[in-house]
Amino acid sequence: MTTLDSRQIPTSAPDNYLTHTRGLLSWLLTLDHKRIGVMYMTAVLTSFFVGGVMALLVRTKLLFPGAVEWMSADDYNKAFTLHGAVMVFLVIIPSVPAALGNFILPIMLGAKDVAFPRLNLFSFYLWVLGAICAVWSLLVGGFDTGWTFYTPYSTQFAAGGVIPVLIGVFILGFSSIFTGLNFIVTIHKLRPPGMTWFRMPLFLWAVYATAVIQVLATPVLGITVALLVIERAFNIGIFDPSMGGDPVLFQHFFWFYSHPAVYIMVLPGMGIISEIIAVHSHRHIFGFRFIAFSSIAIAIFSFLVWGHHMFTSGQSPMMNVLFSAITFSVAIPSAVKVFNWLATLYKGSIAFNTPMLYGLAFIFLFTIGGLTGIPLAVLSTDIHLHDTYYVVAHFHYVMMGSALIAMIGGLHHWWPKMTGRMFSDFWGKIACGLVFVGFNVCFFTQFMLGSQGMPRRYYMYQPEFKMYHHISTGGSYIMAIGFIITAIYLIHSLFAGKKAPANPWGGASLEWQCSSPPPHDNFAVTPRVGDCYDFSAVRWDEEQEGYVIDTEAHIAAASNGKGH
Amino acid sequence: MLNQIPNLLMQASTDPLVTQGIPVSPKTFWLPKGASTVAADLDWVFEFLNYINYFFFVLVVGIMFYFMWKYRQKGREVYARGPSHHTALELGWTILPTIIVVFIFFVGFKGFMIAKTPPANCYQIDVTASRWNWTFKYPNGADSQDLYIPAGRPVKLVMRSDDVLHSLFIRDFRVKNDVVPGRFSTLWFQADNPTGMEKEEDGHWLFCTEFCGKDHSNMNRRVYVLNQTDFDAWLTKRAQWLDVIPAEELYYKAGPILFKRCASCHTLDGSVGTGPSWGNYDGSGNIWERTSNPQTTHKVDNGKPLSDFIGPGKQYEAPEGYLRESILNPGAHVVDTYGNVMPTFKGQLNDRAIDALIGMMKNLKDFDAKGKFIGELPATATPATATPAK
Repeated sequence: MTTLDSRQIPTSAPDNYLTHTRGLLSWLLTLDHKRIGVMYMTAVLTSFFVGGVMALLVRTKLLFPGAVEWMSADDYNKAFTLHGAVMVFLVIIPSVPAALGNFILPIMLGAKDVAFPRLNLFSFYLWVLGAICAVWSLLVGGFDTGWTFYTPYSTQFAAGGVIPVLIGVFILGFSSIFTGLNFIVTIHKLRPPGMTWFRMPLFLWAVYATAVIQVLATPVLGITVALLVIERAFNIGIFDPSMGGDPVLFQHFFWFYSHPAVYIMVLPGMGIISEIIAVHSHRHIFGFRFIAFSSIAIAIFSFLVWGHHMFTSGQSPMMNVLFSAITFSVAIPSAVKVFNWLATLYKGSIAFNTPMLYGLAFIFLFTIGGLTGIPLAVLSTDIHLHDTYYVVAHFHYVMMGSALIAMIGGLHHWWPKMTGRMFSDFWGKIACGLVFVGFNVCFFTQFMLGSQGMPRRYYMYQPEFKMYHHISTGGSYIMAIGFIITAIYLIHSLFAGKKAPANPWGGASLEWQCSSPPPHDNFAVTPRVGDCYDFSAVRWDEEQEGYVIDTEAHIAAASNGKGH
Repeated sequence: MLNQIPNLLMQASTDPLVTQGIPVSPKTFWLPKGASTVAADLDWVFEFLNYINYFFFVLVVGIMFYFMWKYRQKGREVYARGPSHHTALELGWTILPTIIVVFIFFVGFKGFMIAKTPPANCYQIDVTASRWNWTFKYPNGADSQDLYIPAGRPVKLVMRSDDVLHSLFIRDFRVKNDVVPGRFSTLWFQADNPTGMEKEEDGHWLFCTEFCGKDHSNMNRRVYVLNQTDFDAWLTKRAQWLDVIPAEELYYKAGPILFKRCASCHTLDGSVGTGPSWGNYDGSGNIWERTSNPQTTHKVDNGKPLSDFIGPGKQYEAPEGYLRESILNPGAHVVDTYGNVMPTFKGQLNDRAIDALIGMMKNLKDFDAKGKFIGELPATATPATATPAK
């Protein structure tokens, strides 16, 4: 048994995907899913920086609302619009599936690549093209419609580059569809022998559910923004009441995509959390099937609840009642996941590494984000809370506190695998603490602002809201410091980090059974799989300063049904 | 069958008037003081949901922290044996939340049906939203910028928009509805406690909560609740306020009040706004000088000087004609470098009101930057403070 470890799992292969070929073109024209994943990650994090700067500008403006010479009303409106659009379309939607998913998904499957490597690269370049359109929009004056592009403001009144950014969103939609399609086929066709659906890591279940939404919902976004472009350019009147159109129709189209999009954002994050909680607790995930099916349930329900964004839009009370009722159905699979993660901690051996801190922060923040969704789904209270800061706080807890925190947790979890280097765990914990504290200071105060009636998208506010706005802005600065520290130690680790072992955290899924960083082909031979949440064959190895897995025992345990 | 459902739903909700007499809800940590009959119910639901949320939050996070402490890794122990599933437990925590959310749904549903079903005897006020103003029109023809309502009586707002989406939100009443171009939307509420109208702070806030462009943040006004006697008196006075001012006093008595509506886009001191300033504008004089000067260089419609349009035999015989058209049909001639964004004031400003505004433009030197009259009163005049309406 002792001979297996060092032989089967080399600590560092002589040739890895980073050194396999050299030169800029070998990256730009690569078909390697790992390199595409890394390029996506770089692009997404760059966009995250841009969106983050916009967020800080917005918060800083709210510190000095009167200082119009520093930032005018128009500048403010453009800043919050750009923040929202960049964070949604360029950061959160592609962050987990396209960036982390691209890297990890084929390795978790023991495959050499995704099913369609060329389509994968094409989808990355579509992302780049979409991002270029956003820059084009900025060059012709920016846009101030809000990321929701509500008509008729966006079609008849807004100045500047609305059409360029809509073209960008249209193109980004195709990038998202192609990635989703690729992952669905990859998961169906490239699973290794022995990996049944119920042996598949929960991250893949989540990415699969996400991919289904991406493929089915994103075309509706494409149609919607195409109509918007045509309406704005040629005034055909589909959303214009003076020509028999209806602005509320746009809201239905928009939210038919954008509500499922919320789950495109958070489902993969939930998948990451299932991995992180199990691996760092060193114990079998609790309730595999319930977690897996809750992902599918969320994906299905996500298509049926879009109308809860429109309780005050003037749609019929009957529709409001139905949408409110169906909305509650989403709460149940979400609650089931949280309970299962808690049960996974039970009797675990919890290691407080940086990724795990993000995982635990996720449970904390997602609980708040989920519970505060209840007063928004309840019809009578939503009338008061709709379009106030309560909504802003709620969706930041879900989209940033959950989806992005999970992404950053996943980035730390797989960083040693992606780069072959360990980051500073000490600074990782400090930064995670700053982000967690800053986030809560920034956004929890916004629940109070909202329930007290502070409307969204105001650059100016009444004096009674001043204290909360100041605290909130302070929180955003704390968060920013946390992210700056994160950027510093991650970049530092690339050059000066300790060499990463194959399995730094003690995971049992396939990505921990190839070297860090993985070789070009991931696995020389198609690996056999055991139960990816069975840690009974995982041991700490002093020599490698990492964990090793006894593959034979691991597979034997799975076939004996042991290790549960 | 399906078309029966709304009726059934209506019957399921209680009669709206049942809520009458419920005391207004107090200010809490979360909510401002309620001031309408639906507020008490909504506040109760919100606080009730908060307690459910506190309970589940403490439960989840409490268990999480307990497990984090209890099951922290000791040494390099790597394999922990915990149960991997427990069907009864998992079914339990699937079914229990289901029951709770069904219950919560019905709690919110009841309050919503009350809030959405106006009683039969509502006092109706017509609302027009345009960027970035609210206009409230009362049954006797009076109109106002702030909303005045009678106490103890259900009020129904019938709302329309002249341009983009807006949303009318009175937070102390806990009511909100979008105002959509091309359709009418309604909102009803009843406030029992008069606020008075002496000071601005007496009123409840009314906010626009749907993003509508540049000055969305400033599209907020006050709601004053008056007892029936005060309301009737205010209403009569308000309907006649323009009529009782002698024609020659209109410009300094009515002008500043009417100008408040213009002030969201036009300044008086030449500083930059969404529309051209009435004051000295790029050095070419104030708005009256620009319009009345036969050699004016002021340009409209892609570079044509205004003098092409104004004068005997031209489109407008007198400068007043051009100014009048600019108020009633603002898109007719758009000043260079400005967009065609001004809404029409047709039906909102009558001839006397337009006379007052044009009079103000002619005597701009008598007003300060905020529109306050600072000139000398004509000998025959009554004091400017006599103007009754807000």
